[in-house]
Amino acid sequence: MRRLGLRARVTAVFTLGAFGLSLALSGVAYQLTRQNLLAERERNLVRSAYFDAVLVRDGLRTDNPVIADVLRNLDTGETRRPVLRRDGQWFSRTADVGITDAIPTGLQQLVSEGTPGVQLVSLRGEPAFVVGVPLDEERTGYYEVTELAELRRTLNVLATVLGVAALGTTLAGAALGSYASRRALGPLASVAGAADEIASGDIGARVTRDTDPDLDRLAVAFNHMVDEVQARSEADRRFAADVSHELRSPLQTLSAATSVLVRRKDELSGRTSAAVDLLAEEVTRFEQLVADLLELARSDRPADRRPTDVVDLARSVVVHRGMDDAVVDVTGTGDTADVDPRRFEQVLTNLLDNADRHGGGAVRVGLCVDEATVRLEVDDEGPGVPPDERELVFDRFARGRAASARGGTDGTGLGLALVSQHVAAHRGRVQVADRPGGGARFVVELPARSS
Amino acid sequence: MPRLLVVEDDDRIRLSLRMALEDEGYTVRDVSTAEEGLAEHAATPADLVLVDLMLPGMDGFDCIRSLRKLGDVPIVVVSARDDTHDVVAALEAGADDYVVKPVAVKELSARLRALRRRARGDSADAPKTLRFGEIELRPEAGEVALGDDPVHLTRTEFRLLCELADQQGRVLSRQQLLDRVWGYEVFGDDRLVDVHVGRLRRKIERDPANPKHLLTVRGLGYKLQV
Repeated sequence: MRRLGLRARVTAVFTLGAFGLSLALSGVAYQLTRQNLLAERERNLVRSAYFDAVLVRDGLRTDNPVIADVLRNLDTGETRRPVLRRDGQWFSRTADVGITDAIPTGLQQLVSEGTPGVQLVSLRGEPAFVVGVPLDEERTGYYEVTELAELRRTLNVLATVLGVAALGTTLAGAALGSYASRRALGPLASVAGAADEIASGDIGARVTRDTDPDLDRLAVAFNHMVDEVQARSEADRRFAADVSHELRSPLQTLSAATSVLVRRKDELSGRTSAAVDLLAEEVTRFEQLVADLLELARSDRPADRRPTDVVDLARSVVVHRGMDDAVVDVTGTGDTADVDPRRFEQVLTNLLDNADRHGGGAVRVGLCVDEATVRLEVDDEGPGVPPDERELVFDRFARGRAASARGGTDGTGLGLALVSQHVAAHRGRVQVADRPGGGARFVVELPARSS
Repeated sequence: MPRLLVVEDDDRIRLSLRMALEDEGYTVRDVSTAEEGLAEHAATPADLVLVDLMLPGMDGFDCIRSLRKLGDVPIVVVSARDDTHDVVAALEAGADDYVVKPVAVKELSARLRALRRRARGDSADAPKTLRFGEIELRPEAGEVALGDDPVHLTRTEFRLLCELADQQGRVLSRQQLLDRVWGYEVFGDDRLVDVHVGRLRRKIERDPANPKHLLTVRGLGYKLQV
């Protein structure tokens, strides 16, 4: 069985507790009341029976008493039924025929021995008291049978009322338990909520403070933790940016000095010339790496989106790379979208660079702009990206299997990571799939409007 | 050979740039402070100036402003700072172009070449005289007047105005303007265009905040309405 949560358990405990308690109290109340009522009734009935017994005894002391009349003359009301047993015979009022069966033999025995008694019996399904009073020892016994239907009805009403009260108390217990647990666990839910928000990117999310000092402690501790983590993350980022920034000046010198060497390659011996070539290549790559690192460090800034003719931009990029304009395949209803032009251009350039490096060059640049979405596709006819690497390629410095096999490392390893960051800054998506017909297809989807 | 003035306080950068640019055909004077640079330029005007922003004493921004007061010598900023705030401030101060270190010598050379081509009277197809509103533009003579007063534009500003005038009434995108005026494939650096349009507006529009002629076409670019 699935383990119940804390809230459910607390509520269940409260409910069961309330139930048990109210049941016990109701039970005790009912029992006490019932016993009291019965005892009081019994007392009254015995007193009345004795009174009537005296009257009957007096009535019987006459010569040739008519027992039926003696009984009839009693003022027993409707509920008490007088019965006489004399000389082994039963006498009752004509209306009360049949009730002699109710008188238990044990009581009769008792009465014939000269002891009065009271017994609770069942008469026609209803409880009844039978009072037995001996008159002339073995000879005469006077009984009164009283049905307690009304008492039973009263007790039923009491039972119902107590039952309802118990139910009400149980429900109240459940409600109280639910409220108490919600109040106590509320902060946990809000902490979990804030944690979710932070994980999904809103690093500004915090937990609201609580007026209760015990609960507030959790909120304060959580907020403090997030502040610390955020500060550390900021510090890391700034460190990466600072380092890259510091590299700019030395790189400028390296770059300029290397270009002086390159210009004089003819004057250099074969080996020196080769060394200069290596130097020049690596300095260029180093410059690109530093530029990419700095770009990456600030790429989680929100995109500066403005209405941009992305079709025109894509065409410019393609043409300036020396590619044929026909490679751009435009579909869709429009050509303008809210994008950051600098970052969009970088996305396209990096995807084209990637196609050049690993796919033999891009064969198609698909662009589709409509009301809601901008869709950019860059296709190549290279080996494609194996499914298990399709997430990894967008990591920093990720090298696909094919790339490392060729030893081709003329990229910085950050191109696709930058694509991923720029796309994320636009709240878009990028993924790689198979191109129909072979090769890889990189697909970028951005919302066309900024809001 | 064109005379190039380099103002850079990092010795190694200054030396390597000088060597590389001399290879590119420039006569290079290099100084390490703005004060020296201004004195040098005042004595022997250079054809082009390269300035770093972070200098001891007077900073790069003030240096640019002071150079502007002396004339319209083309100024290129070469700086490690890439903050938009710095780029815009440098351009507003009067620079024609802005490159971020490290810049490849080839690229720097191309940009300097483009700047030199921005000499007056270079638009062969430009109309003789163009009048719009209170402005009178004479491309070949390289002059602009607002009413009766001559307007002093930098070469870049002038070239920008001529290109827009050449296509008067038609929209030119920022990229097209970058290609035509700055002359090379510098992608997406709209700041160069935007700041220069702003500078032009402040010089030739009566109410720069509500331009009548130099209009922004949202999402597309700029056009000159005559």
